[in-house]
Amino acid sequence: LTKFGTEEKKMLKLSWSIKLNIQVLLLQFYSKIVFCFPFRFNYRSTHHLTSNGFYEFLNWFDERAWYPLGRIVGGTVYPGLMVTAGLIHYVLNLLHITVHIRDVCVFLAPVFSGLTSISTFLLTRELWNQGAGLLAACFIAIVPGYISRSVAGSFDNEGIAIFALQFTYYLWVKSVKTGSVFWAIGCCLSYFYMVSAWGGYVFIINLIPLHVFVLLLMQRFSRRVYIAYSTFYIIGLVLSMQIPFVGFQPIRTSEHMAAAGVFVLLQVYAFLQYLKDRLTRQEFQTLFFLGVALAAGVVFLSVIYLTYTGTNKLKCYAKIHIPIIASVSEHQPTTWVSFFFDLHILVCTFPAGLWFCIKNINDERVFVALYAISAVYFAGVMVRLMLTLTPVVCMLSAVAFSCVFEHYLGDDMKRQSPPAEDSRLGPNIKSIVTMLMLMLLMMFAVHCTWVTSNAYSSPSVVLASYNHDGSRNILDDFREAYYWLRQNTDEHARVMSWWDYGYQIAGMANRTTLVDNNTWNNSHIALVGKAMSSNETAAYEIMRSLDVDYVLIIFGGVIGYSGDDINKFLWMVRIAEGEHPRDIRESDYFTPQGEFRVDKAGSPTLLNCLMYKMSYYRFGEMQLDFRTPPGFDRTRNAEIGNKDIKLKHLEEAFTSEHWLVRIYKVKKLENRDRTSSL
Amino acid sequence: MNEASSFRRRAARRPFSAAALGVSAGGLVNEEVKRTVDLSTHLAKITTELVLSNQGHSAVQSFILSVEPDLAPHLAYIGASVKGDGEDDGLLEIQQSDIHGHSGDFYKVHLASSLAAGAQLKVKVEMTFSHVLKPFPTHITQAERQLVVFQGNHYLYSPYPTRSQTTRVRLASKTVETYTKLGNPSKNDEIIEYGPFRDVPPYSEDTMKIHYENNTPFLTIGSLTRTIEVSHWGNIAVEETIDLRHTGAVLRGAFSRYDYQRQSDSGISSIKSFKTILPASAQDVYYRDEIGNISTSHLQVLDDSVEVEVRPRFPLFGGWKTHYVIGYNLPSYEYLYTLGDQYALKMRLVDHVYDDQVIDSLTVKIILPEGARNIHMDTPYKIDRLPNQLHYTYLDTFGRPVLVVTKDNLVEHHIQDVVVHYNFNKILMLQEPLLVVGAFYILFFTVIIYVRLDFAITKDPAAEVRMKVASITEQVLTLVNKRLGLYRHMDEVVNRYKQSRDTGALNSGRKTLEADHRTLTNEISSLQARLKAEGSDLAEKVGEVQKVDSQVKELVCRSCQEAERLVAGKVKKEAYIENEKNLSSKRQEFVGRIDSLLDAL
Repeated sequence: LTKFGTEEKKMLKLSWSIKLNIQVLLLQFYSKIVFCFPFRFNYRSTHHLTSNGFYEFLNWFDERAWYPLGRIVGGTVYPGLMVTAGLIHYVLNLLHITVHIRDVCVFLAPVFSGLTSISTFLLTRELWNQGAGLLAACFIAIVPGYISRSVAGSFDNEGIAIFALQFTYYLWVKSVKTGSVFWAIGCCLSYFYMVSAWGGYVFIINLIPLHVFVLLLMQRFSRRVYIAYSTFYIIGLVLSMQIPFVGFQPIRTSEHMAAAGVFVLLQVYAFLQYLKDRLTRQEFQTLFFLGVALAAGVVFLSVIYLTYTGTNKLKCYAKIHIPIIASVSEHQPTTWVSFFFDLHILVCTFPAGLWFCIKNINDERVFVALYAISAVYFAGVMVRLMLTLTPVVCMLSAVAFSCVFEHYLGDDMKRQSPPAEDSRLGPNIKSIVTMLMLMLLMMFAVHCTWVTSNAYSSPSVVLASYNHDGSRNILDDFREAYYWLRQNTDEHARVMSWWDYGYQIAGMANRTTLVDNNTWNNSHIALVGKAMSSNETAAYEIMRSLDVDYVLIIFGGVIGYSGDDINKFLWMVRIAEGEHPRDIRESDYFTPQGEFRVDKAGSPTLLNCLMYKMSYYRFGEMQLDFRTPPGFDRTRNAEIGNKDIKLKHLEEAFTSEHWLVRIYKVKKLENRDRTSSL
Repeated sequence: MNEASSFRRRAARRPFSAAALGVSAGGLVNEEVKRTVDLSTHLAKITTELVLSNQGHSAVQSFILSVEPDLAPHLAYIGASVKGDGEDDGLLEIQQSDIHGHSGDFYKVHLASSLAAGAQLKVKVEMTFSHVLKPFPTHITQAERQLVVFQGNHYLYSPYPTRSQTTRVRLASKTVETYTKLGNPSKNDEIIEYGPFRDVPPYSEDTMKIHYENNTPFLTIGSLTRTIEVSHWGNIAVEETIDLRHTGAVLRGAFSRYDYQRQSDSGISSIKSFKTILPASAQDVYYRDEIGNISTSHLQVLDDSVEVEVRPRFPLFGGWKTHYVIGYNLPSYEYLYTLGDQYALKMRLVDHVYDDQVIDSLTVKIILPEGARNIHMDTPYKIDRLPNQLHYTYLDTFGRPVLVVTKDNLVEHHIQDVVVHYNFNKILMLQEPLLVVGAFYILFFTVIIYVRLDFAITKDPAAEVRMKVASITEQVLTLVNKRLGLYRHMDEVVNRYKQSRDTGALNSGRKTLEADHRTLTNEISSLQARLKAEGSDLAEKVGEVQKVDSQVKELVCRSCQEAERLVAGKVKKEAYIENEKNLSSKRQEFVGRIDSLLDAL
């Protein structure tokens, strides 16, 4: 057995190193830029943390964002990620291993994903057996749903949060199994780390009480559960309140109430059990029916109610009340395609694993069943929560595969209870089933490699295109423009752009932005949306009142980039309309037939709004190739409707090489005309 | 005139004393002066070829070069060489001095051999001025061309009288707005020739002003920090952090990408890219800035150099700036010389960034290996040395010494070698590997201690029992296997007996079997008793093994007897064979049971 154990460790290490290799490979192409949108912000705050110290970081007021409001960063972020990176950096530098904080940030995600696969192994081993654990670790190492958050360079909260999530669950299962305070305290500490890292901690604080509650319903109450949950709830509560951003939420908001309710319920239940031991049956029944029935009923009802509202909170998050949340592609409901894309064959095999678990139920398998069911529900609500589903799918699929392999690959002679002679499997059946399973796994591996190399490995700030001869062409327009802003504008210049680019501008251009990806102030965003969708004069008023110096837009018409501002424009209009219904009406931007068109048939409001003018300024003169007329927009495949655009209050300040980013300068008020003043 | 010159001659004896007039060297006269003012780039390069004649009465060791007060602050480089008949001799030693009563900068040039009275000498003087071409107008639009103004001197500014001189000005283009017309100069394409002017008194100044079109790149390096990190493991890492600025006419109004892409002369004074020449052995070249790799560069490896086509992220228009880092590795054997413990690093203090470069402020940091002592630096020209610093990188304990030097206003002429001498004890090379070895040794040792020793506060009796039981069962297994081996041995004895019919051998074999069997069985039963004492249920299984084994033994004895009877002729052969078959199949069964029991242990 010991020998088997060491081999297993080797395998685990192997899966970790494979993972690291995959992710480090990417860097060879894209050097060391911290890629995506939110990552820039995390990097910037980590940089602030390492250069100014922890307390300065907690008190950090960022006057560069949300001009003129500013943002209290220290109190409104989950500091776990930055503190982790900062701590690693500090320790390494203490040992005179002088790595740059940027390198720490870039490699943090792969390292943590390695830890995730180890904790997944541990959790699955607790649930099923070592073989399943090993498979689960291998699955999570390559599954596309998680690769997206664990590639080198993705410096994101989720990257470390999934590790914290899995590890907390492992410790929870362990503490339920042993009933030891030691494991429960470990679980609390891990939970504390999770709280400091990601808002998704709410998932834990609802799932664990749900587990306890279901155990109670299933008559599986035991001293172990009592010890584990009481310890976890009290210490976890106190610890979670230490994070400034969380503060008093755990005792105020409804999504934490389920945990409190279950805690009370558990105490009552334990007390009843105690009374049951002390009193005679008659006395107990009287007492029970007179007093406790009422109280328990109330508690039960409230718990059910609170659990319902609490777990629904994540869904509320995605409710389509405010267009701004609906406008984010990550908040859309998940399609079947993306389920398959992210999980591939695992999405088919994991119900089998769930069935195996439910068939041989015990305390911890109740937990994983609940985990699976709730995660599937949330992943269906919102693409982004696919991430919480991925680990459990890996675990349960591993259970399924492990069961099948055990049945078809194992030696019948070596079993503890060898099957009867007639029910033994023939060698043909065995080999066919094994081959099929291996084929499935192979296809899964091929799919994962493909997805990793194609979908998730290109940073969103660098676009790559391929020439006829296969050589790669890098379109580095974003960085070109951001760097121009950084170098050639006043240090305190204020840049107006749509909120998607807020973090990028703050991080790469180091300039003050009006709105950014932390969309906490809807009305401010609506004001920017209003400026973009008004005509130039009205927009100038707004921009003057907001002290805007530069306006930055993304325009993909030249190269056919579809994620540009004109394609996002309707969201700006909708968000602006939400706050300023008298000035902006969505219907004005459609043709009478209800189409959104940029050509001559488009609505005049659209053809004269600021966004349209800025996007197509001087584009009407440009002829991209001989087959199309001048001013032909490649993204929308239309010849633009307003070719003669004159700007009165704005001036083109910079346009990147492929016109992807256009920056306009807001002119100051003109000197008063001398002749008219006479 | 004569009186004055004799006065001057006397004053020359007292070097640069208060009352001395400018002409301090005795009776030197510029016989013939040819000046070339090269304004075709953004620098003003003035080359003066002059024939000095000593009209005094004694030999002179040195002469004075002077720079006009307007131009003096911009002087980046000055060099003088004696022009012989054939090739140029080496550069002469130049020392800054000053002359009271006259403004401007003065440089005293020491001659290699003294100039005798009445003799003549041909001297070539090179001066390079930065930032003397002022854009005018200072702001232009993208479509406009860049015009610049140069203000200089028609005459050679010299402490000596000049007999005859000409000045030739080379411009960047034919388009000239205005130029001063002293002495009716001739203009031919981009060349304006002034002179000859005859008998010009000392310190003559007359403003020459030329306003012309110049679209050459007006690039200036605002600050350059060059870090050279020497490793004795064979590598020298060089990194340059560069702040670049377009110091031409500032762009006014909009920058239109459309015009820039469609019209070739739009933004003609802007800079798209330039070439940086790195040493031929440069490897792992990188070019990046704060937000990552700059993907718009090309590298070309030539025989004698590595050329990097540096393209900033965006074209540089007037007034725009950018910032980047370029770095590469060099093999140390080309630059590091050693003799015993003494080392000498010979490297360029500053290297090529672009042609006709101007560096406003240069900082060079040379990081020597940890433990370098007696550091001494030979610089090719005067340079400010700041106090040494310490630098910590991987595996450093007491820090590497860093030499820091700075200098302002550098041009291409400053690309020269600097030599750093230091002592380094070679034993120190082992320090870092030993450090790593030590760290790993401590790590492994700790792990060994942790694994071997029991640090548990509480004993876990169950685990201990389990371990004890495991060791006992192991012993049982070997003993039982040994016992089964005895039976096989006995079979062989019986077979041999059947052939040889040697009863003695059979009996002795049987005796040893009995004896060995007894000792083994006793040992196993004692182990069984111990297992029972530990409370393990394995004891029962061992008991079962014992029972089965006694049956096996019986069978062995039976087959032995049968064989005896066969030999004695008491049974027929066929009956014996059948009997034997029976017995062996039974035995097989029993042994199989023992095996399965053993597997279960």
